[in-house]
This record gives sequence, C-alpha cells and structure tokens, in this order.
Amino acid sequence: MFELQEQHRMIEQAVRQFCEKELAPQVEALDKEEILPYDLIRKMMDSLGLRDMLLSALEKRLEGKEAKQDNEELDALDATRQDILNSYIIMKELSRVSPGFTMAWGASIGLCGLAIINKGNKEQIKKYGIPVLGFDKIGCWGLTEPEAGSDAFGGMKSVAKPDGDYYILNGTKTFITNAPYADIMVVYAKIDRGQPKKEQPVHSFILERGMEGLTTGKPFEKMGMKDSPTGEIFMEDVKVHKDMLLGAEKDNIRDAAKESLGNERSGMPPMALGIIEKCYEQSLKYANERVQFGRPIGEFQAVQLKLANMYIHLQNVWNIVYRIAWMAREGKQDFTFACASKSYCARAALEVAMDAIQIHGGYGYMREYHIEKLARDAKLLEIGAGTTDINLLTVARLELQK
Amino acid sequence: MNPYDEFAVEEALQLKEKFKGDSTVTIVSLGPQRAIEAIRTALAMGADKGVHIDDPALAGSDSFTVAKALAAALKDIPYDIILCGKQAVDDDCAQVPQSLAELLDLPQAMVVEKLEVADDGKKATAYRRIEGGAKEVLELTLPAVIAAEKGLNEPRYASLPGIMKAKSKEVKNLDLAALGMSAGDVGVEGSKGKILKYMLPPEKQPGKKIEGEPEETAKELVKLLREEAKII
Repeated sequence: MFELQEQHRMIEQAVRQFCEKELAPQVEALDKEEILPYDLIRKMMDSLGLRDMLLSALEKRLEGKEAKQDNEELDALDATRQDILNSYIIMKELSRVSPGFTMAWGASIGLCGLAIINKGNKEQIKKYGIPVLGFDKIGCWGLTEPEAGSDAFGGMKSVAKPDGDYYILNGTKTFITNAPYADIMVVYAKIDRGQPKKEQPVHSFILERGMEGLTTGKPFEKMGMKDSPTGEIFMEDVKVHKDMLLGAEKDNIRDAAKESLGNERSGMPPMALGIIEKCYEQSLKYANERVQFGRPIGEFQAVQLKLANMYIHLQNVWNIVYRIAWMAREGKQDFTFACASKSYCARAALEVAMDAIQIHGGYGYMREYHIEKLARDAKLLEIGAGTTDINLLTVARLELQK
Repeated sequence: MNPYDEFAVEEALQLKEKFKGDSTVTIVSLGPQRAIEAIRTALAMGADKGVHIDDPALAGSDSFTVAKALAAALKDIPYDIILCGKQAVDDDCAQVPQSLAELLDLPQAMVVEKLEVADDGKKATAYRRIEGGAKEVLELTLPAVIAAEKGLNEPRYASLPGIMKAKSKEVKNLDLAALGMSAGDVGVEGSKGKILKYMLPPEKQPGKKIEGEPEETAKELVKLLREEAKII
C-alpha cells in the first residue's frame, strides 16, 4: 500500500518524460501568460493516450457494457478507477513542473467533466461530457461568487427562476479556473420558486458559451497559477432549457455539490506532493553543491534542519496520497479526513517551497531556479478548494459533533 | 531505457504500423533484473512481447559475449529485421550491433539516421552521416542489423493504456542453459577484453597566464602552443 508498483513507476516515468520534453520548455511562457495551456494539454492527452483511454471507457459505460475483468483485456479506465493512484501520479508529475498547468487540466476534466459524467443523464454525457473529457472542449466549474466564498451555499446569490421548460439564470461567479476560455460551464444556482432564500435548493446547470446573456470576464492577474487562466462568469437572464439541469430537481444537491468539493479537495494532496518532491530534490542537490565558508552548505545545521523538515512533509504527504488512493479503492469516504489532509498538504507545500527558496538564497528568489514559481503556485493550495481556514473549521465542527 | 534503444523501438513500431497485421515486435534485452523495466516500457510503447536474458554468469560480459548471447537467443526468434541502439550510454562501447550482425552473418548498417524499408519488406535503405557532413546511403537485403542514431525518429511516450496492457504481455526469461551456453562462454571468462580498472579523468592543470606587451605575449603564446601544447 505504501509503495509504487511497477505500473505506477512506468506512468511516473512516461509523464516525467513528457514534462521534461514538452512542458518544462513552455513553463516560462505559460507563467508570463504569453501562451495558453490548452494546446499543450491536448498534446499531453493524445501522446500519453489519456484521451483514448477516457473516451473509450466512457463509451463502454454509456453502452452499459460491463468492463472485462479478466487479465487478458483489462479495461484501461476501469483500472484507472480501481487505482486512482495512477491519476494522482500524473498530477504529481505535472505539478513538479507546473501546478498551474495541472489546475487548468484538472478543472476542466476533473471538476467540469466529472460533474457531468457523474450527475448527468445519457444525453448530457454525450453532448457535453464526452467533448470535455476528451478536451475537445474546455470546461470550467463555477461555485464561488463575489460574496460567497467559504460560505459558498449560504451566501450564494445566483438564482434560477423556473419559466415553463426553461430556467432564467442570473448571477456572477468569480475565481473560476478556465472561465475566460471555457466552452462548457457547470454553474451552481439556487432555484427560486418563491420560497424563502434559505429553503431554495442549490442545483447545477450546464451552460454553453454563446448562450444569450452569458459572458465571461478577462483573465485575472494573479500571484501564481498563471498557467491557468482564472476569471468571472456573468449570467444576465440566461435562458436555460431544463435539459441542461444536472440531476433531478428534487435531489438534495448540497450533498452532490459537496461530493464535487470532495473531488476538488482530494486533488490537492497530489499537487502538493509534486511541489514538495521537486523542491526537496532540488534543495538536497543544492545543499551538496553550494559551497560557502569553505564547505557545502548542507554541512550547516541551519540547512540540515530545513532539509529534515522537508523530508518529513514529503513522507507525510506521500502517506496521505497513498491513503486517499486506498480509500477511493475501498469505497471509503471520510469528509473530515479529506478536509484535514487538504489543509495539511497545502501548508506543507507552501512551507517546503518557502524553505527551498531560503536554502537557495538569492538564487531561489530568481525565476531561473523555478522554485519561486512553485512557491507562488503553492499559496493557491491554501486558498482554492476551500481555504485552509474553512477546512480546519469543518474538521473541528465535524469532530465536535461526533 | 537507453535513449538509442528508444529510437530502435520506435522504428520497429513504425514498421509494424506500416506492415499492419503481419508483424510482431519482440524486445530482446540482456541484463540484470532491472532490465525488465526497460522491456516493459517498450511493451507499453506498443511492442508485442519480450525476451529477458538474465543469468548471474553473464555479469561482467563484454560487448562480444553480449552479442553471442543475443545471437543464441535469436536462434529461436523469427526476424525480418533487427534494430538496436547504436551504443549503450554507460560504457559507450558501440560494438554489440556489429558483433551481432557478424555472428548471425547478416548485412549491417550502423549509426543510422534514416531508414526506409521497401513495401515488399525485402530491402532497406539506410542513411548515415559520415565525415564532412556527407551522407552515406546503404542498400541492404533483409534481414539485416540496423543500429539507431539520434534523429532516426521521434520516440513516442509509453501511453497509459499501453502501460496497463504491458502487464499482460508475455516476457520470456532465458538463462544460459536455455541459450545452450555455459558459464565459460560468457561473463568475464568468455570476454575477449578485460577491464583492468576505472579511473577518473586527470585533474585539470592550472592555466598559464602570459603577461607583457601584446607583441611579446603573442610570440610567447605561439611558442607555447607549438612546443608545449603541440597543437600547432
């Protein structure tokens, strides 16, 4: 359980090769926002066989065929689902080079795509899920609003008013990854049938760029994660057919949304792992090579303590990643653990990245050494998918209620 | 996997694609247990089956004995073309493909940058770069041994579905007995050359600074380059 199997190592190696050859040379341009990540994401999906794998498995699922279990022809996606560690390894490898790139990919496929696949009906999956999963269309997932961050459901102002076969959507979403370029959007809103705000159920809708009244803002300027464009979604009397509602109206969608939040949160530890692993490796190497006062700086205790601390975080985050992979495999759900591990991993990533800069001194602060980018990107892990603060509060409240 | 072997594997896979259903790509590798990972990577790229030659007695084999063992393994594997990397990246000997071709009595083209196989699969044209940037073009009757140089192609990545499938592909293990060889044929004993020791390159001597007026220093420099460094 606490070890990568041969197949995992091969995936790690294949993705690393791709990253070294294709992603690393583009990171500077991505980070300066001179280019968008989407072409490279498509190239990655094609050359690593991800696109074929996801789509063929999805087609099989749509046909209602049970995937073959025998070893002769093990269905690829089924194996992925059984062993989500494979996906975590891909995210880890991408995040070693660019957490922002990982986020642009993950928000489209993992959040938007999976929301449609998991909650959508056959038609919705065919029309919207498949293009997003294959990255023929860019997806985004919109929950946060200008006045609804940590209080995402309570503070939500976006409303959907039923009108015959349609809903009329109004509201604004913000800090949405991929929003400026998304073709397909999954957006949450309260359904207003005249009942008091508190009783209005939250539902998600599929929106398509080009619908009347639906616009997006310019990409925001950010501290980090610049490889993934972030922006707003504006809905002004957007007329949405009821076929675009995800799930039946009676469902308690808060639970479903929380499931997606769980998805979002479990994506954070692998990203943290990539940042930590890379920062640690680079720091270890630098500590052996950099000579000051006549000896390698690794011989100084001030540096040793930092390295030991990094190592502890690295091992802890690995253990968390192994555990959430095991939980997924066993079908175990533990919302408290997801929130707690998300907070821990985010903090660890930031701490390790900052310490890595410190070990590298002036060089660490320079773009060329790549760590400052990882540190800027790492800060987002403490904010996105629920801030560290709200995640910790959730942990304590759930534990106190036990 | 050795990068030159990656070019060889990619070329084999492209030939398989060209000749469609009729062809099989078999990966043959000699090495300790960890060599299996290279074989699996090639299977994940799309090769069909693997043969892993591993025997404790093989340790310390030189290029020639490696080629002998490979040639023995190839007795039972049908082939239309044999593709190798041009050299290993640890010892850089670059002798295995040539030796293998000689042992199998096959035509050979080494350090090949471009390869064309005729549609009937009977002949191949190999392009290699020679001195002065000129190209040498060889026509070979197949089967032949081809050693891959960088630039031959752009190796694909092992794909995820490929990695999943690689697990269930056959990898045959061969020890010396299976090759019909004995310990004396291989390893240090069977090798033609013996490695006496490994040394680090000599430490660099400190440079020399010539001071003075340009007219004199130039003369001094020429003198040193001629008499001491002996390069002009």
